[in-house]
Amino acid sequence: MTTEHPVNRRWNRRQRDWAVVFWISFLSASAGAFVLFGLVDPLDMVNAWADEYDIGMRLAYGLAFAFLYLVCFLAAALTMFMIRTGPSRGHAKGEGKRPIPEVQDPSQSSPDIDGEDWK
Amino acid sequence: MSQEQDAAASLYRKDPKVYPRDVNGSFASLRKLAVFVLLGLYYILPWINWGGHQSVLFDLPARKFYILGLTFWPQDFIFLTLMLIIAGLSLFFVTAVAGRLWCGYACPQTVWTEVFLWMERLVEGDRSKRMKLDASPWNKNKILRKTAKQALWIIFALWTGFTFVGFFTPIRGLGEAVVNFQLGGWETFWMLFYSFATYGNAGILREQVCKYMCPYARFQSAMFDKDTLVIAYDEARGEPRGGRSKKDNLAEKGLGDCIGCTLCVQVCPTGIDIREGLQIECIACAACIDVCDQVMEKMDYKKGLISYTTEHKLSGAESRVFRPRIFVYAVLLLALVAGVIFSVNNRVLLRAEFLRDRNALYRELPDNQIENVYTLKLINMDFKAHQYKVEVLNNDDIRLLISPEPELDAEEVGNFIVRMQAPASAGKGSMKVDVKFSTVGEPVIERTVSTRFLMPFE
Repeated sequence: MTTEHPVNRRWNRRQRDWAVVFWISFLSASAGAFVLFGLVDPLDMVNAWADEYDIGMRLAYGLAFAFLYLVCFLAAALTMFMIRTGPSRGHAKGEGKRPIPEVQDPSQSSPDIDGEDWK
Repeated sequence: MSQEQDAAASLYRKDPKVYPRDVNGSFASLRKLAVFVLLGLYYILPWINWGGHQSVLFDLPARKFYILGLTFWPQDFIFLTLMLIIAGLSLFFVTAVAGRLWCGYACPQTVWTEVFLWMERLVEGDRSKRMKLDASPWNKNKILRKTAKQALWIIFALWTGFTFVGFFTPIRGLGEAVVNFQLGGWETFWMLFYSFATYGNAGILREQVCKYMCPYARFQSAMFDKDTLVIAYDEARGEPRGGRSKKDNLAEKGLGDCIGCTLCVQVCPTGIDIREGLQIECIACAACIDVCDQVMEKMDYKKGLISYTTEHKLSGAESRVFRPRIFVYAVLLLALVAGVIFSVNNRVLLRAEFLRDRNALYRELPDNQIENVYTLKLINMDFKAHQYKVEVLNNDDIRLLISPEPELDAEEVGNFIVRMQAPASAGKGSMKVDVKFSTVGEPVIERTVSTRFLMPFE
């Protein structure tokens, strides 16, 4: 059997971008959780914020990590979005930019528009 | 020029500076009104007191947010989250109906840029004068005008930074601290930081923020459909464009209604030509509509060559305001707003939390009684001082002892030691205890909180 596209299982650009977003936000959230819980006792957080719901230490760890993951994920996804929807390569050199619109004194071609307002 | 310089020059095309021409008209007036209202609120609100507090104050050290007579505690964070969701949903709703209304009239970037531009015009004159001044060599006039403009900008930016910090630190005290040169380090830092951000965004970056930095500009197209209001040039009517006098016969000259005056380009704060079609840079400020309508009036043509319209309308089809997405946004928005208003009005202005003594589950007393000890955290969220009555609801065996008698000032948080005692025969293991707190006297504020009472297991 022959296939027309030998690498057709390869992820496309969008899939790879999302994978990077998921993975990098996981790494960042892990690092963040290490630092955070190196400084803060999760039980202090329980006492400070969520007294009404008696969450245990493990859930406190889990929730804090989930929160960090969410924040990192949002930042990474927004970064990807801004890069992908932003100006393409060569933009700074003027490639793909619209020509700068030309302007003129209106009264030059239309003598009726000659009031002080238009000078 | 050497070859190297030549190559460097070709690597970068600098966008020309945009010198928006001043414009009058109904939409410009609407934007000025928005500037007055929004900036008025921003600069005046912190100076107004409401219910004994600054009307809007985000008191981070005390972990209390005061917003127009309401106090939000950390436990009320859900309301702030909901309000943010409401703000986001409103943005979606407005965008789906009327396009980039937010960008053109209400975005802080637009609003502050408008004020900075006004100061620039005041000192340097309108578009052509500013262009001439920038192109002219440095002389006394140029130095004076540029210095005056910078001075105005910096003073305004500093005032903006000061007000910003005034939303987090009581502004009257902050004002006194500034006058007496007693500002703290962080206050100084944030004041300067926000001043710098205002100066940079509204004075220097301007349209670059909308073009390159704003995420909303990028994803607002997802909320657009063919019935969303956009600003568009009526190409069928306007083309072919060209100069003419009022007396000319258009049919003879083969001209459309656009006289090619380029005023629509000159008034555009992002420097685009709307006649090229809808562009991501267009912030829908409607300056081009205002100026084009004036030209049309002067030429005795029908207004509306550039107008708020929809893609459907432009293509001759019928435009609908009520579409499924509008309906969904509106229903969600209404439900959320109603929910928030209802729950804020029905908030119980008292909170109670039992913290168990972590060292001992229970204690056996000599008279065959079992005792549990708790720390009670009581929060009076009312603007009045209260004394509270505490009683156990669902268990007659349990006796509750509290010292001292819980009495709290307005908005005070207090910790009390609570002992609950029950005969050892009353039960085994863990029992749920409902404890009711109620104010002594008016107004009646009640809250019932559950905790657990532990007894020996065997």
